[in-house]
Amino acid sequence: MILHNIYKIISNPKIFVYTVLWLMVLVFFGTIAQKDIGLYASQMKYFSTYYFILFDYIPLPGGRLTLIIMTVNLASSLFKKNLWKMKKVGVIILHIGGLLLLVGGGVTAQFSSEGNMVINEGENIDFVDDYHRMELCLVNISLEDSLEYIVFDDELLSEGQIINYERLGVKIEIISRIENTRIQNRVTLGDSIYKGFLKEFVLLPKEPDKENTQNRPSIIFRVRGSDNNSDGIYGLFLGQRDLDIFDFKKNQYFTEFRRERSYLPFSIELLDFKKVLHPGTNVAKSFSSEINLIESKVPRRVLIQMNEPLRHQGYTFFQASFIEELDGEATVLAVVKNYGRLFPYISSIIMSIGLLVHLMVNLPKMIRKKPIQISE
Amino acid sequence: MNKNIKLIFIIIFLLPLSYVSSFTIGDIPIQDEGRIKPLDTYARNHLLAFYGKRSISKINLSATDWLLNLVLDPEAGKNLKIFNIRNPEVVSSIFLDWSTDHKYSFNQILPGLRNQAALLSIIDEKPNNQRTTFEKQLIELSSNAMRFEEISYLKSLRLIPPNIGSEDEEWISPLEFILNGLNPDNYQNQILNSLQQYLAARMENDESAMTSSLVLYESALKNIPKNLFNIDTLKKETWLNQVNLFYISLGFYLFAFLMLGFSWMSNPNTLRKLSFLSLIIGFFAHGYGIILRMIIMSRPPVSTLYESVLFVSFIVILFALILEYFRKDGLGIFVGAVGGTIFHFIGFNYASDGDTLNMLVAVLNSNFWLATHVTTITMGYGASLVAGFIGHLYLVQSIREPSNTAYLKSVYNNMFGVTLVALFFTLFGTILGGIWADQSWGRFWGWDPKENGALLIVLWQLMMIHMRLSGLAKAQDFALGMSLNNIIVAMAWFGVNLLQVGLHSYGFDDGVAKNLFIFVGAELLFSFGMYYWSKKKSKRSISI
Repeated sequence: MILHNIYKIISNPKIFVYTVLWLMVLVFFGTIAQKDIGLYASQMKYFSTYYFILFDYIPLPGGRLTLIIMTVNLASSLFKKNLWKMKKVGVIILHIGGLLLLVGGGVTAQFSSEGNMVINEGENIDFVDDYHRMELCLVNISLEDSLEYIVFDDELLSEGQIINYERLGVKIEIISRIENTRIQNRVTLGDSIYKGFLKEFVLLPKEPDKENTQNRPSIIFRVRGSDNNSDGIYGLFLGQRDLDIFDFKKNQYFTEFRRERSYLPFSIELLDFKKVLHPGTNVAKSFSSEINLIESKVPRRVLIQMNEPLRHQGYTFFQASFIEELDGEATVLAVVKNYGRLFPYISSIIMSIGLLVHLMVNLPKMIRKKPIQISE
Repeated sequence: MNKNIKLIFIIIFLLPLSYVSSFTIGDIPIQDEGRIKPLDTYARNHLLAFYGKRSISKINLSATDWLLNLVLDPEAGKNLKIFNIRNPEVVSSIFLDWSTDHKYSFNQILPGLRNQAALLSIIDEKPNNQRTTFEKQLIELSSNAMRFEEISYLKSLRLIPPNIGSEDEEWISPLEFILNGLNPDNYQNQILNSLQQYLAARMENDESAMTSSLVLYESALKNIPKNLFNIDTLKKETWLNQVNLFYISLGFYLFAFLMLGFSWMSNPNTLRKLSFLSLIIGFFAHGYGIILRMIIMSRPPVSTLYESVLFVSFIVILFALILEYFRKDGLGIFVGAVGGTIFHFIGFNYASDGDTLNMLVAVLNSNFWLATHVTTITMGYGASLVAGFIGHLYLVQSIREPSNTAYLKSVYNNMFGVTLVALFFTLFGTILGGIWADQSWGRFWGWDPKENGALLIVLWQLMMIHMRLSGLAKAQDFALGMSLNNIIVAMAWFGVNLLQVGLHSYGFDDGVAKNLFIFVGAELLFSFGMYYWSKKKSKRSISI
């Protein structure tokens, strides 16, 4: 009985109406907010969360929670006895398709990952840079025939964290983490606590750009337990050219602050990047990257262009952007691994079948002039 | 009625034949803004940019004639009052006196512009969104003057195809040919010679020599080894410029509306049929215009904001015709004639910006997705607007005759049916858009403003339908909901461009914002006003 009552509540179509209404509110404000805070931040605040806090103390359901409620409501409504009738077959198919779409969205939200690859012409790369997460990397350059990488993930790099890495007997304390960085010359020289790059420069925060990928993040940290005089405060920023050198346990290391990398089971070499303009204008007609997909040392030539991505081993590579410099061109490929990719395709087919069946059964009644009771 | 239908079809099949005519000077191909277009289009767009109109009606001069006169006699052309300056600030800044027709000649504006060179270079360095209206207009005037001068000595007329015939290659203007001392190919030589002959003949006013030189020109074009353009398509475009099918369709829609109005006063049956017929003829002219544009650009019907306006109004008329066919009581005609007329005027507004047949940026340059996603979603806009329109009529009707429940019920049924059709198109248009996004940049959904706009329409319609079916909303509430849906459609269609973020922000100017707010305000006022009035009325009629 209690179960039945709960079922009655969660399958109430009014819940759907209210969740849709709330979702519209979210979509509206989430869209307006993009003008000020950018697409990514707005997405994180309104859509990809279970709840968000308005005016510092009012918690409100976020997009994810709203969609979950909608999914549960939709799924439970399919068990209603009076739904399973021949004349409602279109409606049933339609709702199953909708459910599949929502489930697919959930799968994508939970299990997909994305990033990008920046490849210069002639370069061969086998990793993907994350858009948002960073990593701190120590590279041992004293080994004879190889490089040893020690990588600290984004979670370890928040302000105030102390990383105690016993194998090297080193302690790294994160003093500050800057989202977008301005670099200035240091005015008062001579404070010996600052080492390396920070001896001559200071890293200062500046207004973050709306698009997170436009920012130049940096990190300031203190090192203890190194050999010689390497203890002190260091600063690193994304894209830094001259890297600071340390001595730990008689080995030389350099540090790098970079976008978090995930490695591919194959590599991609950019042979040529092409940009074609509409003649006599600055409007691009097409972009394309001619690449070698190298797997077990065997290259295969592939052309990636706008609207024609490369799909390989569950990864999809898209022509996203490009960089033009004096010494050559680089392509920017967006890389996505999404297990929920096929859901929208399947569900849209199911839903269109459902709606068409329903329209075919009901539309003639609606379009006629003489009033006829429409079925509930 | 049957005879009339036959007549329509005869007219429609005869229409295309009228442009299978001889090759005229307006048809000669020129490369401009990334595509190969007839000289007629080139001349019209430039005259529009300078003069504000596509011909100089005061002295009965077509755009092509104006351009050729300018080339043949630059001095006379530079004294022709061709620059339309509508801002007194701009006029006084170039040391001229404000005249009532606000038209000035090149020779009048040139000294002033030279004097303002320092100011112009400062404006030039500013990004466009930081320029004031005055600055934008001044810099536009100066670039127009530059373009004008380039035309006058044949610099910007890229009339000659390059000898390596790739479609991405830039064409060459006669001036560049002379300056660079290029050695012309056989066909290039032919083109240059026949052009020279034509211009000489035109100077002499020798009609027969002009005709024979154009025959030469056409045969020279046919000798070009690579297939860069189609002469028939060029002719079609010139024809479309001259005939202006969308003025014709507008005329028929207005006539349909007028006849419908008269049919309410007298002789309802015949006049209504006449009105219906007029709507159908307008519809065919409208559709034919869209088809010709598709042939000229070889792409699907909708790829720019202007084209979406044309196509949405086409869909509105289509639904209106279907409604009228079944109802036969003028409701469909009313929806079609009013909707079609309004959208034609919105369309003309966009067309006054210049060439409406523009090239597309790389990501949009995909015929498959333009054909599926964009077409579906614009059909959804059209169907939604029809449902909204019927919603208005329902509200009005429930004030006029609240007791006529049978009629109200039938209007409601139409509205509900059209809403379902609209939902079909908006929903699948949106999903197809997601699939395009998945194909192009790897994510199905990214909460981009345009995506969100489309989603809002879908959600609103889903909500209204479920509210109605679950008993939360009555027929009147549903009519209100569908009327308000128009606001959401307008916001998704034009409003998201206000935000100027995301991948879809194209084709936007300040005037749109003002019009949009006026529309939203009027719609809110009308819908809620009618809704509460009708509620009051229905309560009273029950209590009586």
